[in-house]
Amino acid sequence: MRDGPVTELHWLGVAEAAGAIAAKDLSPVELMKALLDRIAALDPQLNAFIRLDGEAALQTAKAAEAEATAGRLRGPLHGVPVGIKDIINVAGLPTTGHSKILQDNLATADAVCVEKLRGAGAIVVGKLSTHEFAIGGPSFDLPWPPARNPWNTDHHPGGSSSGSGSGVSAGLFPMALGSDTGGSVRNPASCCGIVGLKPTYGLVSRRGVFPLSFTLDHIGPMTRTVADNALMLEVIAGHDPHDPGSASVPNGHYAAGVARSVRDLRVGFIRHFHEIDVPAEPEVTAALEHVARTLQLEGAEVRDVHLPTLGEFGAVNRVILQSEAWAIHGRWLRERPGDYGQLARRRLMAGAFFTAGDYVQAQRRRLQMIAEVEVALREHDVLLCASSMDPACRIDRPADIDRTYPRQARTPFNVTGHPALAMMAGLSLDGLPLSVQFVGRYFDEATLFQVARAWEQASGVDKKHPPIV
Amino acid sequence: MDKAMIELLARHAGLAKALAEFPDDVTAAAKQAANVAEKIRQPTDPAAEPWPPMRAGAGL
Repeated sequence: MRDGPVTELHWLGVAEAAGAIAAKDLSPVELMKALLDRIAALDPQLNAFIRLDGEAALQTAKAAEAEATAGRLRGPLHGVPVGIKDIINVAGLPTTGHSKILQDNLATADAVCVEKLRGAGAIVVGKLSTHEFAIGGPSFDLPWPPARNPWNTDHHPGGSSSGSGSGVSAGLFPMALGSDTGGSVRNPASCCGIVGLKPTYGLVSRRGVFPLSFTLDHIGPMTRTVADNALMLEVIAGHDPHDPGSASVPNGHYAAGVARSVRDLRVGFIRHFHEIDVPAEPEVTAALEHVARTLQLEGAEVRDVHLPTLGEFGAVNRVILQSEAWAIHGRWLRERPGDYGQLARRRLMAGAFFTAGDYVQAQRRRLQMIAEVEVALREHDVLLCASSMDPACRIDRPADIDRTYPRQARTPFNVTGHPALAMMAGLSLDGLPLSVQFVGRYFDEATLFQVARAWEQASGVDKKHPPIV
Repeated sequence: MDKAMIELLARHAGLAKALAEFPDDVTAAAKQAANVAEKIRQPTDPAAEPWPPMRAGAGL
């Protein structure tokens, strides 16, 4: 593990890079070249990219440099590289979903979230690996190989936003977009030791993103620090009248308040998730207790909270997700089943075996679960719980993948739509990231960032980078 | 869910091709779905509404 001050361009964070470019201390071209060199050196081991768009990124960096030199900054991300999960449209590039089904699916327009990033000056470096259609799992029977974990390339980087997590963690780019339907931003954030946010449902437009499950899909920022995550959210959040799920709320100012003290904040600790419902590895439990004690030392009040069980949350998530996904994929599964990888084929076909009654009952129970989490969040400012119950397992052992994948506490907040952030809680004895999750009130990402930043500052987890060189 | 039931449901869903080419995957998919709904507590109040609610004019 590397632990020390930032001296190399590839470890520059989003705000640091944007600040240096705005101050004319850093050239966007110099930054882009350094990252493209690093991508060339490391991506053959990591497979974070499905499609690197290096030449276009370099040309855009040259234009950004000219603009910066002339004092014309497009926005708070001027000249900063970003990677995009390959279910999100980038105009002129294919959106493949990491699948043969959409191998030639050229996007004619940017997704709204990409349009906003580019409007703020960010430069798209390329399209990133995902589990097939954001559901399949690490598969070796697809047109592209699965991404790998930079902390140990024999291990799974989490998913489905695998390339996003792997690339941000390895210093291939300082920020990436992911999507989260059952935990797919927070799982790679947990496995790769970065910060991943699933915002409140409806805060970030889904328009231009290939759907997995209409009522569970969220788009979220993935970065190496909490402050960078807040900055990125500030850019991509906002009402979209053409996304039926988009919320009409005032734009939040997330970055300004991240450094506020957590003194007197009330934190609800959902211990039963990792102690009873799905018992975590002892290292994970110890790390979560350490986070709770640290927040107490910072002045927060930490109390136990009880919610429905992870088993029931998971069942509600699965019925809704697979039913909605079947509505999307049914036609292709009937006509072209052989064009899916085995994992996605199995997971997507499951939706054919639920009844309409199963789906409606899951949605009815969902409303009750939302009410139960709302009660907990009336009495607490933020909830604290596990994200993954284990460090990342080996990528080449399907049985381990199958065993560890459901051992998580992320699906509850796709079901309820509350904002949830996963980040590093420490390292295992094997040198793999351990994780923690914070959950906030609807549209109160600001308090979520405040608590996450307090943990980050007290622990120094943002200074830890994978040993990959 | 036994094999005959899985085949019947798969054909009803239009998965005849998948059943012919990937029978093990169809069976695995059916087993994933089996018993999941039973883990969900059914609301006892007949008036319990699903989420999201119908909201006329919203989001259009």
